Amino acid sequence: MNRAERRLFLSGVMACGAGVAYGQRVEVRKSGAGRIGISLDRLISDGSVEGQEFIRVLRADLLRSGWFEEQSAARLVVVGRVQNADVLRAEIQAIQVADKKRVLSRAFSGTKAATRALAHRVSDALVLAVSGKPGMASARLAMVGNRSGHKELYVCDADGANLRQVTQERSIVVAPAWMPDGKNILYTSYKQGYPNIYRTGQREAVSRFGGLNASAAVSPDGRRMAMILSKDGNPELYIREVSSGSLQRVSSTRRANEASPCWSPDGSQLAYVSDSSGRPHIYVLALKGGSPKRLSRTGSENVAPDWGVNGQLTYCSRQGGRYRIVVADPRSSVSRVVPVDGADYEDPSWMPDGRHVVVSRSVNYRSSIYLLDTQEERSIALKEGTGDWFSPACSR
Amino acid sequence: MRRVSAVMGFMGFALAGVLLMSGCQSTGVNEGVYGSDNLYGDPLIADIPLNNLDGLPTNGDRTLFAPVMFAYDSAALNPAQAAICEAVASHLMGRGGVILEGHADERGSRDYNLTLGEQRALAVRAYLIELGVSPSQIQTRSYGEEKPANGNHDESAWSENRRVEFAIY
Repeated sequence: MNRAERRLFLSGVMACGAGVAYGQRVEVRKSGAGRIGISLDRLISDGSVEGQEFIRVLRADLLRSGWFEEQSAARLVVVGRVQNADVLRAEIQAIQVADKKRVLSRAFSGTKAATRALAHRVSDALVLAVSGKPGMASARLAMVGNRSGHKELYVCDADGANLRQVTQERSIVVAPAWMPDGKNILYTSYKQGYPNIYRTGQREAVSRFGGLNASAAVSPDGRRMAMILSKDGNPELYIREVSSGSLQRVSSTRRANEASPCWSPDGSQLAYVSDSSGRPHIYVLALKGGSPKRLSRTGSENVAPDWGVNGQLTYCSRQGGRYRIVVADPRSSVSRVVPVDGADYEDPSWMPDGRHVVVSRSVNYRSSIYLLDTQEERSIALKEGTGDWFSPACSR
Repeated sequence: MRRVSAVMGFMGFALAGVLLMSGCQSTGVNEGVYGSDNLYGDPLIADIPLNNLDGLPTNGDRTLFAPVMFAYDSAALNPAQAAICEAVASHLMGRGGVILEGHADERGSRDYNLTLGEQRALAVRAYLIELGVSPSQIQTRSYGEEKPANGNHDESAWSENRRVEFAIY
């Protein structure tokens, strides 16, 4: 692909993005259409176990990213050597066939124990070099699983690998959310009898007022925490200053519920669920002041919003008897349903590429974790079987 | 009669309750599914803060009273089940306490169902307070959709799961 072609390709993507903002109907590509043909045949390992694993993981990452398709007459050739010495070292070049231009030429290294992480880094670097957008391969996922007989917190990589059980509380874990540091996770648990908010790596509760303490979400700068408390007699939205501990009540709806706050990328607004209209809908509130603006118009239930770094909101909407994933522009209020099969899709969380969302997908009341491509009609299974998996959240 | 005397015993909220029970039209904005605006369980009670949990029991006997049931996505207390609350209130006169455990069916998001379960528990709390139970005797605990009474996935299971249980201590 020469430079003009690449510009064309990118402008096509931008036009697609503009369609999200201004068109009521957005053409969503069938899977595979518009992808960049890539050849990985010249990616060679030294034959070591780690080297072979590196290439396997990198290939899977690149194909999962949504940008590439393996072709023999490729527009982009990835050339590289992976060597396993004291550390794992990968020298990677990505070359446009048409003009021999190198879009990436870099060496990466990491410990043998972190072979997969190294492959994820290389994949994200290739996606960025070719598309100008961040990849998702290095992200981490938090989710709830019940395979132990209890609902416990788990984490895994963006490809579903490296699954690790984080909590051993034998209680109920609900609604995990990453801290902005990408290391710790906030969640609601009943381990002390009542629904309180906890943070991984910290024994004491973060919030344990009487009644409900739930749906904690920390602002991108880490200074404020939004949550739902019922301590004053009704479930309402509150914001706590993390340093001082001072608490501000944001909503005041005696007859209604608030739930699921999430922050805009710049921390100036909150999106959340309120049923003050009689049905649960998504509202956006500017923290400087003003009244909340209702974003969702259709669907009998609109819940579980997440605000991506791309500025777009995603949420779950019950439409035609099914739970669907919606992507909405909070400025224009224009929204579209991500088209997939007839399963129920819930609890979307943006991946860092601003293109995929991680969701729970249920069929016959069995729930698993999928990636949904919001630009293509494509869903990818990440965690299926061995119990139910739900409430996924992606690190930022 | 017991109910009226209980209401009288809680003067701060008696007026609204007695007016509603004597048939005054409610003028609320959100008409409940039972055609009344929280006839049972005055939302003004929502201004009474919940107890601090330190030192309070975390469990109780759920077999003493049947749970009260709710309509889909509603926290309005069904008048047909008010008698259960009245029996609980009379049991609690001057002794012990109750954890009101709010539950939702599995439809809708887990987060939203947590607040819905809490609002159901709070509706029962409001009515118990109207009936003269001290707020200090009542805790609420929402389980959302996490602890269904019936694990099936049909209309009859869902209606069993939309409930508030009374854990008496």
